Amino acid sequence: MINIQNLTKSYRTEEVETLALNNVSIEIKAGEFVAIMGPSGCGKSTLLNILGMLDTATLGHYSFKGEDVVGYSEAKLGVIRKQNIGFIFQNFNLIDELSVAENIELALLYHNIKSPERKNRVTAVMDKVGITHRAKHMPNQLSGGQQQRVAVARAVVGNQTMILADEPTGNLDTAHGQEVMRMLQKLNEEGTTIVMVTHSPTHAKYAKRTINLLDGQIITDDIINE
Amino acid sequence: MLKSYIKIAFRSILKNKLYAAINILGLTLGLVFYLFGGLLATYENSHDQFFENSARVYTIRGNINAESNIGVKQLDNVFSAVAPQIKSNLSEVDAVARTILREFLISVEENNYYEKVRFADPELLEIFDFDFLEGDSSAFAGSNGIIITETIANKYFGNKNPIGETLTLDHENDLTVMAVISDIPQNSHFNSQIVMSMPIGVLIPMVAMERITKFQPDTDWGNSSMGNLTYVMLPETLDREWLQDQMDGIYERFVPDTGRFTPKSFLTGFDVRVLSEANTAIWDVIGIPVISIVEGLGGIVLLIACVNYTNLATAQFMGRAREVGLRKTLGAGQMQLLLQFIIESLTITFFSMLLALVVLEILIPIFNSATGKIIFINYLYTLPWLVLTTVLVGVFSGAYPSYLITKTNPIEALRDVARKGRSAGLIRAVMIGIQFTFSVSILTIVLVVFAQNEKVEESSRIFPKDQIYILDRINVEQMEGRHEVLRNQILNIAYVEDFTLSSQVPYEQNNRSFQASTVLNDIASGISINQLNIDERFIEVYNIPLIAGRKITRKVAMDTHIRENGAVNVMVNELAAKQLGFASSEAAIGQFFYEDEGDKGITTYTIVGVMEDRNILGLFASVKPFVFFMRAASYRLASIKISSNAPISIVQEIEEAWQEVYWDYPMQGKFLDETFQMVYLIFDMGSKSLATFSFIALIIASFGLFGLAAFMAKQKTKEIGIRKVLGASNKQIIQLLIWQFLTPVLWATPLALGIGYFASQTYLNFFAERIGMPYGMLILAGLFGLILSCITVSVHAFRVSKINPIKVLSHE
Repeated sequence: MINIQNLTKSYRTEEVETLALNNVSIEIKAGEFVAIMGPSGCGKSTLLNILGMLDTATLGHYSFKGEDVVGYSEAKLGVIRKQNIGFIFQNFNLIDELSVAENIELALLYHNIKSPERKNRVTAVMDKVGITHRAKHMPNQLSGGQQQRVAVARAVVGNQTMILADEPTGNLDTAHGQEVMRMLQKLNEEGTTIVMVTHSPTHAKYAKRTINLLDGQIITDDIINE
Repeated sequence: MLKSYIKIAFRSILKNKLYAAINILGLTLGLVFYLFGGLLATYENSHDQFFENSARVYTIRGNINAESNIGVKQLDNVFSAVAPQIKSNLSEVDAVARTILREFLISVEENNYYEKVRFADPELLEIFDFDFLEGDSSAFAGSNGIIITETIANKYFGNKNPIGETLTLDHENDLTVMAVISDIPQNSHFNSQIVMSMPIGVLIPMVAMERITKFQPDTDWGNSSMGNLTYVMLPETLDREWLQDQMDGIYERFVPDTGRFTPKSFLTGFDVRVLSEANTAIWDVIGIPVISIVEGLGGIVLLIACVNYTNLATAQFMGRAREVGLRKTLGAGQMQLLLQFIIESLTITFFSMLLALVVLEILIPIFNSATGKIIFINYLYTLPWLVLTTVLVGVFSGAYPSYLITKTNPIEALRDVARKGRSAGLIRAVMIGIQFTFSVSILTIVLVVFAQNEKVEESSRIFPKDQIYILDRINVEQMEGRHEVLRNQILNIAYVEDFTLSSQVPYEQNNRSFQASTVLNDIASGISINQLNIDERFIEVYNIPLIAGRKITRKVAMDTHIRENGAVNVMVNELAAKQLGFASSEAAIGQFFYEDEGDKGITTYTIVGVMEDRNILGLFASVKPFVFFMRAASYRLASIKISSNAPISIVQEIEEAWQEVYWDYPMQGKFLDETFQMVYLIFDMGSKSLATFSFIALIIASFGLFGLAAFMAKQKTKEIGIRKVLGASNKQIIQLLIWQFLTPVLWATPLALGIGYFASQTYLNFFAERIGMPYGMLILAGLFGLILSCITVSVHAFRVSKINPIKVLSHE
């Protein structure tokens, strides 16, 4: 599904050039559950942003579903992204002025899906994550765990085949964190590819493969729980 | 603590330079106009205060019967016969004096100039302590002594001492200069520049008036003209209410109710006013309280600026909820927090006031230079007002946002929850709506005013005013015998098409009229008909079609009005024919109507011609019923019709022709357009002033829209990031932001247009001929507002849509 070769990302100021990623190569197959770990500043989020086509590499190749996306315009990347990739963030990033149902539906608004079908899909996915009873509530009326469940629902409502999760449990307590991890695990069992950045070794165990980064380079790439 | 608050205020300003600049600019503009409006109003309302007795001096005005239909509600004067009645019946008053304005040709040796002179009662010199440079008030002891100002003295006599010198009026009446006074300062009603500019130059004793002009001021109950004031000076123990009471009694007892002009049917009563109101009388006369409007507009502009500030500050302060939450956690009370934010507001207002004063110090001299006024800021006198304004504006503008932010729950604030949710969005929407409503309402009013003024000007084009050259003051006795010589000389000039004589020309606001009726023994219940003395070329020169009968001509003896005959043939206009009761213009031909001239008997008018209606007075007046007759004497004006392709030199040629006939009288000529412009000036000035205020108000409101749009876009960056992650294109983001901003604008549009419409009706009601329901103006104003809002938010939407989502969707 994803094939990056010799990927490098650098940030340059007047005086300093920082290599966020240095010659990274990874292949991720469809249906994998990959955890990316490493200390702060090692390049985990940078890697995730490039995988999610929110950022572009300075050097290297990135092939998504066999298509080389390096050099694509922002508009074209946006089309690929919305059709294939769902995002889950540490701080949930729900829109405060929209209700739970509206936040989830937002992901479908850019897919040219008609209103009745949108409503059906939103209802189905709310059921799936167990948030139906809060459909009309606003984000600031929900707990952290509930907000993250909404974010998960939003990430999958468009039938995206891949989820990129950036520290999805970072703002949650243990119980809610495990709840979210179980949801991700279930999605993976249903066929969704998941790439997750995490600091937590406990949560990393939900993944089948762990990649460790240090100073922008892959240190280890271990298959776990084969 | 106060020092800390002020430090925070400065840092906040420096941190948010864009918003601070918008706020300071907006408040500065508002303060400039508010302060200027106040200064101008104070200046106009405090004229004549340098006269020692000014607080005890009153003028007597006349209230006009609405049915007389002359277009104004009041005159600044009363009949000249009123003053003698005051003098003989109110012994308590200290002094009573009249001034009556006339224009004469004044000659001193070879110098001949037309000057406006005032005939004045000697008590005028008791009422006003003029500064005598030469001579004294005994100058008025006889009937031949006159008082002149230093400007007149320099004009006619140069460095020579004018005392004892002779001035000749109309080559006929010799008068001797007995005293010279200083020019009256600019801030006096004597120098009012609003249309009726009548500076004092020459004062002649009232007792000389009958000898010089044949006019009998003590017994005249029929004439009143703007600027011919009656002054009363009271002792300090009496006041305006007392005088009003006495004048009501004098009106009832002495104003006659019979005779040719039935004064009581024209003036319904007297109105006593303090001297300081004499300067602004013209506005009371025409019924538009201009000074109050100027003050009000200044206040409105300031209010808009305050609302602007409140809107922006509310939006900004909500972004500081976390700071407030932290302060509360550390122990700050609500009052302390309120004080902090109010002080920030006061700091911005203080800077705005300083800037406003700088701007005023630059603008006021320019204004004075353009208008001849002498406005200035007396800081010692106005300091309390400036300080109070600063405090009130700062507190008023900052109160609501300060209250709102300090209500925040500290925990929610620390989580930055306070500004989230639909309620914050609603506040923003209401703020945008208020801004928009103000802006578009004012724009609507301006457009309507301009459209109405355009209609007035367009209506005036019915007369070829730039092709008609008017010669004024040809009714001097010595000139009347040579009118036909003048006509022949003028008609010989190339490009001159025609020539006519008349007692009035279009646009002059003269309403000479009399009661007329077709019922001989009930003339009093007839109509009030305006009269115009013309010659047989008048309707050709002014392009007025004859629609029935024939025009009056010198070839028919009865067409020339000789008063002793008691009968004359006349022309009337359509409206007169209708109001006199005739079924049609044709039916009026050969019919009679009558005028009761009191002891001169009844005059019978036979209608021989009916002209199409024309609005002779023009401007705000409606079409009046008119009778046109031909009387050889009392032609005051000549109208010369010139070809449209005449060269500029034609005026020179006319002057040369004039010199051939009237070598001893300077020519007073101007195009008819100038006469129109002189009266139109009031409306033109009014609409330009309104437009200026409106433009400023729009700028301020636009600043507010711009600032709010910037803030809203900034607030939306996270949402925009999320939407972009979810697949929204730049175009979709821009459309979303524009729609979100425009929704409250669309809701506010009907309100704005409604307010604008009803406000502009007040102005329209003043005119007899008005534009119809200004749908086009309303749509234009609404569209302009929408487009402006679109552009304003598009600037920010375009910028914000380009953000990289990962820059905003970062870890907390």
